[in-house]
Amino acid sequence: MTNWPKSYPLALLIALMALLPVGVLFSLAQDSAQLFDTHNLRVLANTVSLVVLTIIGSVLIGVPLAFLTAYVQMPFKRFWLILLAAPLALPSYIGAFAMYFSFGTGGEIENVLGISTPPISGLWGSALVMSLYTYPFVMMTTRSSLLSLDASLVNAARTLGLTLGASLWRVVLPRVVNSVAAGALLAALYALSDFGTPAIMGFDTFTRVIFVEYNAFGLSQAAMLSLQLMVIVGLILFIESRISGAQERPGKHLSLFPARWQRNLMLLATMPVVFMAIVLPLAIFTLWLVREGAGGFEFSYAWNSAHASFIAAIVAVLLAIPVAHAAIAGKAGRFMERITYFGFGVPGIVMGTALVYVGLQLPALYQTLSLLVMAYVLRFIPLAVGSVRSTAENIDSGLVKAARVLGASPREAFMRITLPLTLRGMIAGAALVFLEAMRELPATLMLGPTGFETLATYMWRVYEAGYFGRAAVPGLLLVLLSGVGLILMLSGERKAQFTVTEDDRS
Amino acid sequence: MQRRTFLQGLAAAGALSGLPFSFAHAMTQTGSVSVESLPKLEGDLTLYLGRGEGGLYENVLKAIEKRNPKLNLKIRRGGSAALANTIVAETKAGVKRADLFWAVDTGSIGMVTDAGAAKPLPDDLTAQLREDFQYPSWSPVTGRVRTLPYNTERVKPEQIPESVMALADSDLKIGWAPAYSSFQSFVTAMRILEGDKATKSWLKGINKHSKKYAGELGVVMGVERGEVDIGFANHYYTLRLKSGKPNANVALAYSKSDAGCLVNASGIVALSDGDLPVNFIRYLLSHEVQSYLAREAYEIPLVQGVEQPQGLADLSTLSPPEMDLRKLADLRPTLNLMREVGVL
Amino acid sequence: MLSVNNLSVNYGSTRVVDKLNLELGQDEILMLVGPTGCGKTTILQALAGLIPISEGAMSLGEWESTANKHVPPEKRNVGMVFQDFALFPHLTVQQNVCFRLKDTKLADHWLQLLGLDNFRDAKPARLSGGQKQRVALARTLAHEPSFVLLDEPLSNLDAALKDSLRWEIRDALKKAGVPAIWVTHDQEEALSVGDRVGILNKGVLEQLDTPEACYSSPASRFVARFMGEASFLSATFDSSAANTDKTVVTDIGNVPGTPLQGASGNVDLLVRPDDLSLDATLSETNCTVEWVRYEGESRLYAVVLDCGDELKVRVSHENAIKPGTRAFVQLITTHPLAVFPRG
Repeated sequence: MTNWPKSYPLALLIALMALLPVGVLFSLAQDSAQLFDTHNLRVLANTVSLVVLTIIGSVLIGVPLAFLTAYVQMPFKRFWLILLAAPLALPSYIGAFAMYFSFGTGGEIENVLGISTPPISGLWGSALVMSLYTYPFVMMTTRSSLLSLDASLVNAARTLGLTLGASLWRVVLPRVVNSVAAGALLAALYALSDFGTPAIMGFDTFTRVIFVEYNAFGLSQAAMLSLQLMVIVGLILFIESRISGAQERPGKHLSLFPARWQRNLMLLATMPVVFMAIVLPLAIFTLWLVREGAGGFEFSYAWNSAHASFIAAIVAVLLAIPVAHAAIAGKAGRFMERITYFGFGVPGIVMGTALVYVGLQLPALYQTLSLLVMAYVLRFIPLAVGSVRSTAENIDSGLVKAARVLGASPREAFMRITLPLTLRGMIAGAALVFLEAMRELPATLMLGPTGFETLATYMWRVYEAGYFGRAAVPGLLLVLLSGVGLILMLSGERKAQFTVTEDDRS
Repeated sequence: MQRRTFLQGLAAAGALSGLPFSFAHAMTQTGSVSVESLPKLEGDLTLYLGRGEGGLYENVLKAIEKRNPKLNLKIRRGGSAALANTIVAETKAGVKRADLFWAVDTGSIGMVTDAGAAKPLPDDLTAQLREDFQYPSWSPVTGRVRTLPYNTERVKPEQIPESVMALADSDLKIGWAPAYSSFQSFVTAMRILEGDKATKSWLKGINKHSKKYAGELGVVMGVERGEVDIGFANHYYTLRLKSGKPNANVALAYSKSDAGCLVNASGIVALSDGDLPVNFIRYLLSHEVQSYLAREAYEIPLVQGVEQPQGLADLSTLSPPEMDLRKLADLRPTLNLMREVGVL
Repeated sequence: MLSVNNLSVNYGSTRVVDKLNLELGQDEILMLVGPTGCGKTTILQALAGLIPISEGAMSLGEWESTANKHVPPEKRNVGMVFQDFALFPHLTVQQNVCFRLKDTKLADHWLQLLGLDNFRDAKPARLSGGQKQRVALARTLAHEPSFVLLDEPLSNLDAALKDSLRWEIRDALKKAGVPAIWVTHDQEEALSVGDRVGILNKGVLEQLDTPEACYSSPASRFVARFMGEASFLSATFDSSAANTDKTVVTDIGNVPGTPLQGASGNVDLLVRPDDLSLDATLSETNCTVEWVRYEGESRLYAVVLDCGDELKVRVSHENAIKPGTRAFVQLITTHPLAVFPRG
């Protein structure tokens, strides 16, 4: 007798909703005759190399930082976490632009400081920028997982003769491969769909072809090419699903107390990342701000960004719950979860157009904040699902059994036991969606209420016009606001920290 | 860049009406209209603004709003193509949102008029424009001419050929932005004027000694830095760069009578009936607005009787080709050609 | 009264529990023992309704659950105490115990009885193992279950604690007057705590009887070995009516016997360590001491008889004999011992 898990119907509905814009692409692509081009092969190769390098880069940066923020005890821990997660709030093209004009001969660094620097451009430049603005995905997902790993295994390894470093490498890392892969997946999809960064770096990618088509009024061609891009998305999703680690019971996590000089050294090592991703763009824009003068900025933009992103984060997490539980419940559920990822790999401008078509089916909602929030949710739900799912997987199944036996119906057991215990994952998921929505551009431009300006849209506006200095203030506000958002969410995480076994002395 | 408030300009408007100047073409009977004589705008108006010239179009809009306190103007910004697509989708779905669409390039305008969304404009409005720029269903606002910015330290003006086609064979290092829409419009014009074959070999030739940039601002900055000798760009990028950096190593050169000195335009189209959208357009064609845009954005006023921007060669010395601007919307074959050559 | 008929559970194609039959008295404590993998936890889960069953039925009062008609756990009014406590980590002790209660009187009663009054506001993470299990028990009993299932409740606690907590739990269950099934792998626990004991072997219930009966009259060698140290001594038994005392004849003494499985003629006599005596001071010897285990109050010896049989003998701790010494072992019990066919 097959018994569909209760989460399936709702999860299916949400998965289909997330797939809706991709479906629209199919109808938009009808008029396109061209299927594939040999010219496209070269561009495809470029895209694939960029994606691969981004995966490597984001993992190389994100995983050590995850260890740092999870295990190393230091003062102002939360501040460092926020600082290191902040790049997720800045649009990557802003960073690309700043770096392109800072480095190299004639670059601003040379102008101001007199130090000559190598130029940043092309494949390596793009990969560097992408890595810097997507490593927080890897860092957040891995950190979540590290926090639930039982430290006793590391202790066992050390008594068997391994140094701390070797224990972390051989005993801890293999057990978080899942989460690393989940974060890398997001980084890969972001790299796949981003247009701005490769364009500025002068690197020819698939998205650039799509963008050119789009601007040449070949919407159907752009849609067709986006669908071809979906094949790559599918491939990446498939590879990621093959990576699975063993299930294990959570335990008290490792806490490291390095000496002060070691701690400072570690923090120093993170400084280049923070410098390149946050300090450099803000500094450059401030420099130009001083040169050109400000104007045109209003604080209502910041409010718009913040509250739209916040609502989207909450809604996304709520919708992520059934999808995440469906993914745990069975194969069909897992498949439904995967489907929600496709939207994240579609280039923004094409996604925006598809969403306009979808939105026009509900004229009453068209160009309202509600629709914009739904657009954010549909695009970013994978960010929330991954987080919720991995936390839910770690809950001791005995607890739900105990509740059932005490007389709680499945629904009551879910609401009173499962849900509160997945709070940490929900919070992390909400944080990711919040940050990503803050920097979202194309859907905001096309679907928000007319006149609804966010920090991201304003930055784009002044960038397009050439008033680069005016991007300094909104850029700074983006970083600050996302910091505030992260603080709120992390304090919730503190309260939600429940270890299931003994002796929690955190 | 010095920022002179448009409001100051408006106050001095009265003194500026009726500036004399000459064109190569004959002047028609109407000159530019002063803002004072325009009817007040009242009510709700939704404008879709495609990638406007940063703060300057905003200033124009702000000034119009200030002058018409009863006007409730809502602005939606985005890329011209994205907004055009949105309008087409809205038209297909029968959902009406936009009253006006102000786009930076004519291609987007063409897309909207082709979808049947544009409302016809009254004759007295279109008559204000220069003869070559009068169209029944949309109005050009300001023009941009294709130029050849060159590095003054590396290149002497004599080295620059008069025909843009000749550049393919010269040994100058060229900067260009093939993905940029204005460049693609320029190549489309070349296709229309010179034919596909000549265009193809020209592209091949240029490709051999060129450097690609993301946009034409990048091209001009590259020329100024000395990375390349000469480039293709709309005129105003160079003028704006020089206004911020007066001793920049870049100057403008123009080709003669071919696609290389094409004058393209930004345009506005009315999407709903009634006097309000049309009257709004009148404001954009008013003397004050046109002068302002010429002065501050270095764009070319397309209304008769308005002074050209500083630093631009007198239009009487230029010889832009005759071209129906809407033809430039035919981008598909251009892109195919560029791809064939491997430029795109 | 909990009634289980021909209950069978399959995992995939493997039968894990085979045709289990039992009936639980009103406030009886039934111990279920068996080696790892014998299916005892599976039985509990099936009785609680946490897993479906493949065949058979179980019923208690108002509900009856069969393979086709599964009654969910929340409808069974069953209580369960888990090996790893399963306390809700995000709720305090008070909230855990009152989880679904509207009236806290009963919760207060149990908290007080089990000495947890001072911990009402603590979260489970702050409690010791013993305290956690008491909370789990209080939580179970406060919800007034019709029957209680205990899944190795003392396995995760240290030995000293086990002993005292064992009695506390038994007392509480008796006070509450609910029947209980208590799964354990500790055979000493099974013998001392339960009213009846059921021994499981690979999903089959080999014997269900009082502790004494299981210990002295085991239904099979498996049960015999499981319930305590068991040695088998070669003997002969005349099963005819002539042997009125049912005497069993061995090389080291005679004793009355309870024949099982039709034992007759050459048989194996089940002897427990306490049924024998060992003396190394006598001149007569019939065995060699192999090893000795000091148990505090007693010593356990393994001896090899000259005829080859191995026996284990338990004597007072004062009787110390070195391994390798020759000694004299003798059957000293007078009550009947189980007799098995030779095998």
